[in-house]
Amino acid sequence: MPEQMGENEARVNCTYRGTNGDLPDPVSFDATDAHVKAMVGEALRTGGIPGIPADPDADLADFVVDRFNATEQRPFALVQIRPKTPFGG
Amino acid sequence: MREAGVVIDSDGAPIFWHSPENRSVASLPDSRLLWDVLWEYRESVEGVAHSHPGGGIPGPSYEDVTTFAAVEAGLGRRLLWWIASSDAVVVLWWVGPERLAYAKVTLEEVPPWADELRRLSNNEERTDARADG
Repeated sequence: MPEQMGENEARVNCTYRGTNGDLPDPVSFDATDAHVKAMVGEALRTGGIPGIPADPDADLADFVVDRFNATEQRPFALVQIRPKTPFGG
Repeated sequence: MREAGVVIDSDGAPIFWHSPENRSVASLPDSRLLWDVLWEYRESVEGVAHSHPGGGIPGPSYEDVTTFAAVEAGLGRRLLWWIASSDAVVVLWWVGPERLAYAKVTLEEVPPWADELRRLSNNEERTDARADG
């Protein structure tokens, strides 16, 4: 588990504009999708995610949140933000 | 009949056939696997096609265009978005400046993958598969 990550916390990873990066701070694994997207959206707008250039217009309304429990290979929980992919409806 | 999809590379060749288990006559569900394929091939992907069962000139739904915009925001580049019915294929691309402003034209020449996409759409196969080769 990375330093300073609590037992019920998760690393947050985001893919945006062809780049990928982690939020510097973990979030609660139980945080709502809306809370996670609000936190990541603010970080994207202000350049708060190392490796992803700031985008003042970043909007994650059509992104989704995936959650992964810790594994043997990755000893910490992971929350990932990615674009949605459904069609039709 | 159920919706199906295919990811196309810059040579016009299929990369990934998308007919997930929980697809329906009117929709393809959100798919982590489809996103993983698009991300893996982000340098070479040209676009994504999906089927609309039935005939006539197909048009995109609101779900379609918001997915187009979201995927392009994630990849950091624009793609082409084809929709195939049983007798027509259209292609859409972003023209802006609004986020969901996509133009559409009907293709006179049917792409070579269209028949297989229609076949997948017309049967009950439920599987995702990378294209051979």
